[in-house]
Amino acid sequence: MREFSSYSAVSMNFELDAVFIEEDCRASALADRVVKSLPQSVPLTYVADGREVARPQASIADPFGAGKRRMVVMRRRSPFMMACPAASSEFACCGYLVLTLASNCPMDCSYCFLQEYVADNPSFQVYANYDEAFEELERMTHKAPGRNFRVGTGELADSLAFDRLTGISRDLVEYFARSDALLLELKTKTDEIDNLLTVDPRGHTLVSWTLSPEAVFASSEHRTAPPAERIRSAKRVADAGYRVAFHLDPIIAYPDAERDYLRLLDALFDSLAPERISFISLGGLRMPPALRAVARRRFPGDPMLAGEDVLSPDGRYRTFAPLRLRIYRALSERIRRAAPRLPHYLCMERPSVSAAVMGVPAPNPAALGQLLARC
Amino acid sequence: MIETSPTAARIRAWAARRRLPESHLERWLALEEPDAGALLAVAEELHLRTGQLASVLELLGEITLRERQTIGAILAGDEVRRILRGQGSAPGRASSLLEKLRALRYPRLTSTLNRINAEVADLKLPNNLHLLLPKDLSSDELKIQLTVRSASQLEAALRGLEERRPKLARILELLGGEHEL
Repeated sequence: MREFSSYSAVSMNFELDAVFIEEDCRASALADRVVKSLPQSVPLTYVADGREVARPQASIADPFGAGKRRMVVMRRRSPFMMACPAASSEFACCGYLVLTLASNCPMDCSYCFLQEYVADNPSFQVYANYDEAFEELERMTHKAPGRNFRVGTGELADSLAFDRLTGISRDLVEYFARSDALLLELKTKTDEIDNLLTVDPRGHTLVSWTLSPEAVFASSEHRTAPPAERIRSAKRVADAGYRVAFHLDPIIAYPDAERDYLRLLDALFDSLAPERISFISLGGLRMPPALRAVARRRFPGDPMLAGEDVLSPDGRYRTFAPLRLRIYRALSERIRRAAPRLPHYLCMERPSVSAAVMGVPAPNPAALGQLLARC
Repeated sequence: MIETSPTAARIRAWAARRRLPESHLERWLALEEPDAGALLAVAEELHLRTGQLASVLELLGEITLRERQTIGAILAGDEVRRILRGQGSAPGRASSLLEKLRALRYPRLTSTLNRINAEVADLKLPNNLHLLLPKDLSSDELKIQLTVRSASQLEAALRGLEERRPKLARILELLGGEHEL
């Protein structure tokens, strides 16, 4: 793992109330970097078992929100690699593999699935033994010679939030730069790209941004970088040799959504030539009832959570089908017109919906995964 | 709302009579006094049942969030007032009110559904052919149900479908979001 010759406290985009480090991880490179970079105002405690402090604080009104401000540096006890938790045989999936190096996120989007998914251990956990993830990747690529894999760290956490403190991105980019079979996807809503600009990805790291119109950003995406800043950051990393991609996900069907999402695409293509973009994914807002209840309880004033959503056959609340498909069609058409060869796909939709919108049958997950890993 | 106000006392009395769950009562009492009072007037006028009050409260909360209007303003709107002052029975007007509030809460869903229902009516289907739209237009899937008891009935039903193919295709296009909503 990379050694850092000097450290100093860094300014953080996100505030922390406390940092806990598991005793077993005290000597790890990650703990060392966090301790040396942490502002003195943040209390630091060593604990025997990080899982104890990762649990929700019962005395607090919003344990999930409070958890975002407590960082726990700990050992991961289960495998780092897993299939994307959103994957399902009922959807046309993209073959995305998830590397869980952290859990939860310091940003607070009102629609975020983590509100329910990590409700039982909401502290922001970073895993100090992440070098073991590299061993898992080695085993996977050796088992499937000739295959390409797209592996992302941005499913249960934002890939770059707190990167100023942890510096994990540099180790990841350098590791993936050495493997021809692997593409790393760093998914983020931040502008924390400084570390990325210090390493050479050699074409093996893709940085992707979730993009939303200003209305959604202002109403729902708390503590994230503004959309224009995300696009600016994308341009900077693209100039530095990274591949870039975008996720228009979740698409929220508020009254002016179609117009605003089309303008967002236009703004994106004005800033970044479409041929420099690896792919774009589209996904409508979908919420299981339990998540919807939690989100509405935590963000009672967010109109984006009061859209024209109905209970869909897959058990999730989604925008009623004609409107949802209409927006997909409009966006897909705009992408095709601006960039006929730019791959784009729907996330967590049935193959029939994908086929109806795209006009061609949805590829199987493995084929799409291969395609996106090579874009 | 001020907990000791006369309106709060009347709301508590209404809630006690109707056994309104505490969580709904709290929400009601948390409204501004004019809004809480306007809702109480509706509940009393239309003899709302407990479940209906809960639905009205939920729908009004979501409409205020979407439209940036107060509950008082929504209930004072022309169409709602027409229902409240209508000639029908209280239960009938309560149902109409709920239907109207759902239309305000889901405006594009309601207009799309109305449009599709009009297209379905225009098909003038025989009794043994039924179109089953997805509940709340939650998918783009259209089910067509044929009820036949003989080969000749089947033949006639299929012919009936074939004759209506362009109109059926249009309904599918509406379900699939191919038209302006």
